Amino acid sequence: MVTDLTTETQPKMRTRDVSVFYGDKQAVDSVSIDIPTEDVTAFIGPSGCGKSTFLRALNRMNDTIASARVEGCIELDGEDIYKSKMDVVQLRARVGMVFQKPNPFPKSIYENIAYGPRIHGLAEGKAQLDAIVEKSLRRAGLWEEVKDRLTDSGTALSGGQQQRLCIARAIAVQPEVILMDEPCSALDPIATAKIEELIDELRGRYAIVIVTHSMQQAARVSQRTAFFHLGKMVEYGHTSDIFTNPREERTKDYITGRYG
Amino acid sequence: MAEHTVKAFDEDITRLRGLIAEMGGLAEVAIEEAMQALVTGDAELAKAVVARDKKLDALESEVDAMAIRTIALRAPMADDLREIIAALKIGGVLERIGDYAKNIAKRAPRIEGRNRFEPLTLIPAMGELAAGMVHDVLTAFAARDPVLAREVIERDNKVDAFYDSIFRNLVSYMVENPATISSAAELLFVARNIERIGDHATNVAEMVHFAAVGTYPEDIER
Repeated sequence: MVTDLTTETQPKMRTRDVSVFYGDKQAVDSVSIDIPTEDVTAFIGPSGCGKSTFLRALNRMNDTIASARVEGCIELDGEDIYKSKMDVVQLRARVGMVFQKPNPFPKSIYENIAYGPRIHGLAEGKAQLDAIVEKSLRRAGLWEEVKDRLTDSGTALSGGQQQRLCIARAIAVQPEVILMDEPCSALDPIATAKIEELIDELRGRYAIVIVTHSMQQAARVSQRTAFFHLGKMVEYGHTSDIFTNPREERTKDYITGRYG
Repeated sequence: MAEHTVKAFDEDITRLRGLIAEMGGLAEVAIEEAMQALVTGDAELAKAVVARDKKLDALESEVDAMAIRTIALRAPMADDLREIIAALKIGGVLERIGDYAKNIAKRAPRIEGRNRFEPLTLIPAMGELAAGMVHDVLTAFAARDPVLAREVIERDNKVDAFYDSIFRNLVSYMVENPATISSAAELLFVARNIERIGDHATNVAEMVHFAAVGTYPEDIER
């Protein structure tokens, strides 16, 4: 079976032979993948398979770990993100990240959103900033719930609301890519459903990559799925194929619960 | 195939496969006994075939319940999912095959002048062929064997050829001797029922192929 993953346009992100090391230990082994804007891409695989490490390499989040080393090429719009001239702060605005545990700043809801656009100089004056805050919260499906209490602390929100606040915060700086590292693993089913609905609404506007341990979630929210195992990307294909008829035995064993 | 980490999942699938095998066995016997009743005119045997069809209906409900429960509890993926969906559909088809056998059994005692009809020697051969398809397609399901499934599909041509021949034969009886019309018409329905059984066995074979390899057989002349 031939899986056609070519895109109409140039992929938003492209990696070639990317390996990531923590000291002597190799966590990611020669991963080459194209990530388009039009689809949501899910990374699945057992714990320790390298999927989160690889995700974090996509916006140089591993730079903060002294022993971490990245080899190979990662491009954003054809530009190598690991070249020395790359402004990492700017990169992380273009490639935003949402983490497993919601991590709002201990500031007001308004400030959580406004902070990024302000330091990146995206707004001139209060009115523009207000507009960005409202638009970001609306896109994250949170506006109606918080519009009357924008001055309340972000940490006072429920877990699910906090996660949507973090997504709104990522959106506020007009990113091109949003990386999500198990964004729902700390949330209840209803909050999870809201995030999944949100991901669906954001699809096409941003290139979205989600790491998830929930196979069902990967099947629900993504159009492309990459299965990682022992640092290698074993299979990358259309989500509908991966979950109904995977090509690789290892993928099948993992998704059917026969792994290990 | 490797076991699931959750053992109960394996037990669910094994149970489901067992139910399908049981249904298949009953359907096959129903066809064979309906043929026997047809040839001998044994009304008691015909009644027994009709009565036993209830068991097939009950098993189909059990397959439905089991498949739905497994999907809800285990959220199956890939070949597991395909197999459970196939079992769900195969259960429905086997129940239909049972209905056709039941219908043949109901008609059996109504045939008059058995010795007169040449088709009465052809129909049991046709029935044997169809019963063999049902038998083999379930072997293919049990063994997850796409090659045997294809082979069963190809055999349906023979069943169709039997039907055409029997059809022409019976029509000529009716034309020559109008007194045979009512019995010949019954036999026409019997042949038609067997032809339908062949088609259903073919459908099952397609599902078996899909469950085994994830695609339907394409390049088969039907």
